Amino acid sequence: MEQNSIPSTKVERAMRFVKTGAQIGGNYIKHYSKKMLDPSMTKEQLHEDNAEDVYNALSELKGSALKVAQMLSMEKNVLPRAYVNKFALAQYSAPPLSGPLIVQTFVKQFGKTPQQIFDTFNMQSTRAASIGQVHEATKDGQKLAIKIQYPGVAESIKSDLKLVKPIAFRLIGLSEKEFEKYIIEVESKLLEETNYDLELQRSKEISRLCADIPNIKFTKYYPEYSSNKVLVMDWLEGLHLEEFLKTNPTQEIKNQIGQAMWDFYDMQVHEQKAVHADPHPGNFLMQADGSLGVIDFGCVKEIPEDFYYNYFALLVPEILKSQESIKRIMLQQQIVSEKDDKRTQDVITDAFIRMTTLLSTPFVTDEFDFSNNDYIDKIYALGEEVTNMKELRESKEGRGSQHALYINRTYFGIYSILNVLGAKVKTGQRNWKQPLMDYHLNN
Amino acid sequence: MSNDLIKQYINHTLEHNKTPESVYLFAKAINMEEKEFYNHYSSLEGLEADIYKIWFENAYKTCADAEPWEQYSAREKVLAVFFAFIEEAKNYRSFAVYLKNRDLVKLPRWPKYLNELHEVFVDNMKPILSEAIGTNEIQERKYLDEKYVSGLWLNFLFVITFWLNDSSKGFEKTDESIERSVNLAFDLMGKSALDAALDFGKFLFQNR
Ligand SMILES: Nc1ncnc2c1ncn2[C@@H]1O[C@H](COP(=O)(O)OP(=O)(O)O)[C@@H](O)[C@H]1O
Ligand SMILES: [Mg+2]
Repeated sequence: MEQNSIPSTKVERAMRFVKTGAQIGGNYIKHYSKKMLDPSMTKEQLHEDNAEDVYNALSELKGSALKVAQMLSMEKNVLPRAYVNKFALAQYSAPPLSGPLIVQTFVKQFGKTPQQIFDTFNMQSTRAASIGQVHEATKDGQKLAIKIQYPGVAESIKSDLKLVKPIAFRLIGLSEKEFEKYIIEVESKLLEETNYDLELQRSKEISRLCADIPNIKFTKYYPEYSSNKVLVMDWLEGLHLEEFLKTNPTQEIKNQIGQAMWDFYDMQVHEQKAVHADPHPGNFLMQADGSLGVIDFGCVKEIPEDFYYNYFALLVPEILKSQESIKRIMLQQQIVSEKDDKRTQDVITDAFIRMTTLLSTPFVTDEFDFSNNDYIDKIYALGEEVTNMKELRESKEGRGSQHALYINRTYFGIYSILNVLGAKVKTGQRNWKQPLMDYHLNN
Repeated sequence: MSNDLIKQYINHTLEHNKTPESVYLFAKAINMEEKEFYNHYSSLEGLEADIYKIWFENAYKTCADAEPWEQYSAREKVLAVFFAFIEEAKNYRSFAVYLKNRDLVKLPRWPKYLNELHEVFVDNMKPILSEAIGTNEIQERKYLDEKYVSGLWLNFLFVITFWLNDSSKGFEKTDESIERSVNLAFDLMGKSALDAALDFGKFLFQNR
C-alpha cells in the first residue's frame, strides 16, 4: 500500500468513524457471528454484558439528550460494535401532534388554517421528523411536504442536555473539560436545528452553490408559508437508502448516486466551507434514474478557516512528509498539547497518523470502492487499538477540536451510506490539495 | 352593544389599572346614562361574568365553522376549542391577568367572573362527551359519567391558569399544556390511562 505517508483525522473519533462504519456496513453481523464461534470470545462476552447496562441506560434518554448520547458514544467508543448500530438507530418517537394543534400552529403563524391555505392537506403525518412531523399537501396541482415542529422543543433542549451530563461522566467517561467543549458545540447546533427560518435560508444557499453538480436534486421552498416552526416545500420523490436497495438498482445507477453524493460534499467542504452535517439515510431520497435528492438543512456546520487548513492537511500525503507540519497541525487540532511530555506526544501523534492514513484512503486515490468491507473492518480494528491506548485512556485532556465533532460525524455518515449503497466513486476529481500545500509548505 | 360596553370596560380598567368601583362611576366615565347601563347588565359583576363567556362563544363558533370540525373526534373537538379559546383570550391578556390578580382563588374553586363561562362550557361540552360515549371513544362508567364534564372544566381552568402564568415565546408551553392535559383527560375517560399520565407527569415536572 502506497498511502503509508498519508495523514488523517484524529484519533478517537477516527475510531468511531471506523467502528460505526463497520456495523452500518451490515458487515458486523458476519463479524459478530464469527466471534461467537471463536473460543477466545469470553473476554469479549464480558465486555458485552457490561455494555448491555450502558446501552440500556443510554436508550432511556429522550429527545435531544438521546441525540447527544448517540454522538458521544460513537465518538468515545463506549459501546462494543454489536451495540453501536442498535443505539445509533434508537429513536424516541414523541406522540404525534393532534389535528387541532396543527391547525392552531398554522393559525398562529399565518392567520389561516392549513385547509384554507392548501387545496388538500393530509391531517395524518406521513413521516416523523426528529423534532416535528411531515405532512403531505397539494396546491395548484403541486405535491408539497410540510414539516411542522413540536411546540416547546427549543426550550427543552437545555434541560434535556442536563440529563446527559451524569451519563457523560459515568458511562462515557468524559472529563468535565471535554464535556464542556462538546456540549457548547452540540447545544448551539441543536438550537439551530429548531430554527426553520435558518434551515430555509441555508438550503437556498447550498442549493444555489451546488446547482450544477450532476444528478443532485433539491427541493423548492415556499417562504410565504414558512416560519420558524413550519416549512413548506415541494415534495421530493425517491426512496430512502434501504428501500431503494430493495428495488435492485444496477451498479451503474448506484455509482452514479454515490458520485453525486461525493461531489456534493466536496463542493460544500472545499468551496462553501459550510456543510450539510447530518448525512443520515433519512435525509437522502434516491431516484431510479440515478439522481440523489437532498433534504433537511437543519444541521449545517460552518468550517472555520484555520480549522479547515489543518484538518484537511492531514489528508495530504505531501504535507505529512514534513515533521514540522505534523507537529504544528497536531497542536492546532488540539490532539496533543504542549502540556504532554514528549513521549506521549510522539505516541499519540504516531497512532493518529496511522489512523488518518487509513481513513484518508478514499481521498488519495482516484477512485474508491466503498462496498469494500475489508477496508471498513480494518479501520475498525485500528480504531479499537487506538481507543485502548494507555496514553489516551489516561489522558485528562479534552483532545481534538470541537469543530471536528460534526466534521467527523459528516464523513462517518458519508462513508456508511456509500458502503451500504455499495458505490464505486471517482474521489480524486477535485483539486483541493494545492491550496493546503501552499499553506503548509511554502512558509 | 354589550360587546361595546365590554370593550369600554376593559379599556377603562387597563387605563386606570383598576376596575370601576360602581356602575355610576363607570357610566359617567364613558358618557352614558346609568339607566342605559341597566338595559344591558344589572351590575358590574354581571358584565364581568359575560366577558369570558363571550370569548368562549366566539372560540366555539370559530371551531365549529372551520372545515375539519365534522371529521374531528371528541378529543380533537375539545382540543380545538381549548386552542381557539386561548387564541381569542390573547387579545385581552392584560385584562385577564389583572382580574386574576384581583381575585385570587385557588383551584378547584374559581372566581365569580367565570360563573357564566362555566355554564356555557358545560352546555357545549356535554353533547361532545355524550357523542364520545356513543362512539366508544370514552368509556361509559356508572356514577362517573356525570363527573366527566366537571373534570374537563377543571382541566380548562388549569389551562387558563397555566396560560396566565406562561412566559414562553408565543405561549408555546400553553399549547403543550393543552395538548397533554386534554390527551390525559381523554385517556383517563377512555381505556388506557398509563401512557398519557406518565407523559403529562414528566411535562409538569420539567416545568416546575
Ligand atoms: N421535501 C420532502 N419530500 C419528501 N419527503 C420529505 C421531504 N421533507 C421531508 N421528508 C420526509 O420527512 C422525513 C423527515 O424530514 P427531515 O427534514 O429530515 O426532518 P428532521 O429535520 O427532523 O430530520 C424525511 O426523512 C423524509 O422522509
Ligand atoms: Mg432529517
